[in-house]
Amino acid sequence: MKFVDEYRDAELGRAVAGEILATVEPGRHYKLMEVCGGHTHSIYRYGVDDLLPENVELVHGPGCPVCVIPMGRLDDAISLSHQPNVIFTCFGDMLRVPGSHGTLLDAKAEGADIRMVYSPLDALRMARENPDRDVIFFAIGFETTAPSTALTLKRAKAEGLTNFFCMCNHVMILPPLRALLESPDLRLDGFIGPGHVCTVVGARPFDFIPVDYNKPIVIAGFEPLDLLQAIQMILQQLKDGRCEVENQYARVVPTDGNLRALEVMSEVFALRPHFEWRGLGFISQSALKLSDAYADFDAELRYEVPGVRVADPKACQCGEVLKGVIKPWECKVFGSACTPEHAIGTCMVSPEGACAAYYNFGRFAREREVV
Amino acid sequence: MDSSAAPERCITCSDEGLPMRVVQLPRADGIAVCSDESGVEHEVAVDLLEPVAVGEEILVHAGVAIAMACIPESARRPERMTA
Repeated sequence: MKFVDEYRDAELGRAVAGEILATVEPGRHYKLMEVCGGHTHSIYRYGVDDLLPENVELVHGPGCPVCVIPMGRLDDAISLSHQPNVIFTCFGDMLRVPGSHGTLLDAKAEGADIRMVYSPLDALRMARENPDRDVIFFAIGFETTAPSTALTLKRAKAEGLTNFFCMCNHVMILPPLRALLESPDLRLDGFIGPGHVCTVVGARPFDFIPVDYNKPIVIAGFEPLDLLQAIQMILQQLKDGRCEVENQYARVVPTDGNLRALEVMSEVFALRPHFEWRGLGFISQSALKLSDAYADFDAELRYEVPGVRVADPKACQCGEVLKGVIKPWECKVFGSACTPEHAIGTCMVSPEGACAAYYNFGRFAREREVV
Repeated sequence: MDSSAAPERCITCSDEGLPMRVVQLPRADGIAVCSDESGVEHEVAVDLLEPVAVGEEILVHAGVAIAMACIPESARRPERMTA
């Protein structure tokens, strides 16, 4: 398909890898963060990191919504799923994320009516088809996903549905990036920017990274050549002494984003004063709730939820992985107590989680051999 | 660059943007028929885009089109990647 095949060309990939090699300064170590879980997945799926010089290190960022959802929110979701007469809907990966007393999949096995959906519009259809049941959609995701929830709620309101509700966990990518940049734990040289988030928000909101923190960022697509070229562009900025927001994914990302999507989001959502991120703690103004105009659709107002903060399991080091402080295989339980089949931490649940990406694409074996 | 062994992806965490081609213009409810890379047809809400035309390529996330893939040709293929 157009825009896909040409970005998987192995010969061009080797040529860009050669450019990267020619751009780096020997003796200097480069630490670049790929913000988005989709980039993490592509890097390991296509072996992009194998084409990089040893002194270019990729660090995984917090851009995996499943990975950053705190256990307490899962407990709230499970509590909602057990409410009588409720059909609880969510994306597939949420089913396996552990709360403090099991997963949504466990709740389903206990009799809760939990259904996987591909789109919030599927949940809306269920509400239409089941007027005598309450249908709750468990909304997660960054700015890429929030418009689909917003559009769905707008439709629900226009149709006058009274049995459709949303438990909103939408988060935004900029606040955790700022938190990471303020963190003394981590020294980064540049960022690979999240391509599809930028189709919605545009490139401009990332200006603070070069302006306030003097770091380059290149917004990148998800094919292997996209990533290689973005890495080369960051390294070139560092070599030239430049520090800018550049858009490698210009074939899709407009500078100002998708104004219609932003408009619908601002109608349906309001900022939460603060929100807990797994491994990162509470970050102010980093998440969305339903606006007053959509309060009737808020599952947390319709039903009482525990709302209790739950600490992560002691053995789990997802927080350090999410901040890029340690590599997945450096976690004490990686590949032993924590595997994709029996995940302790969220980073092992989603295929885009750094731990699952390492595990699924053979990094587990390779890194252990190195040790 | 083989991807055949890839596991299923998470819609949100993968920041999924599936390229699709518009096959049938949207109905009154804003739902258009679009085909994916494999030719499989899907119902996609296109309300968040400017009016789409049959044959146009769009990016789809969670059943909703979030972007056009129709930015000018010169910007589609990064300069350094010309064969």
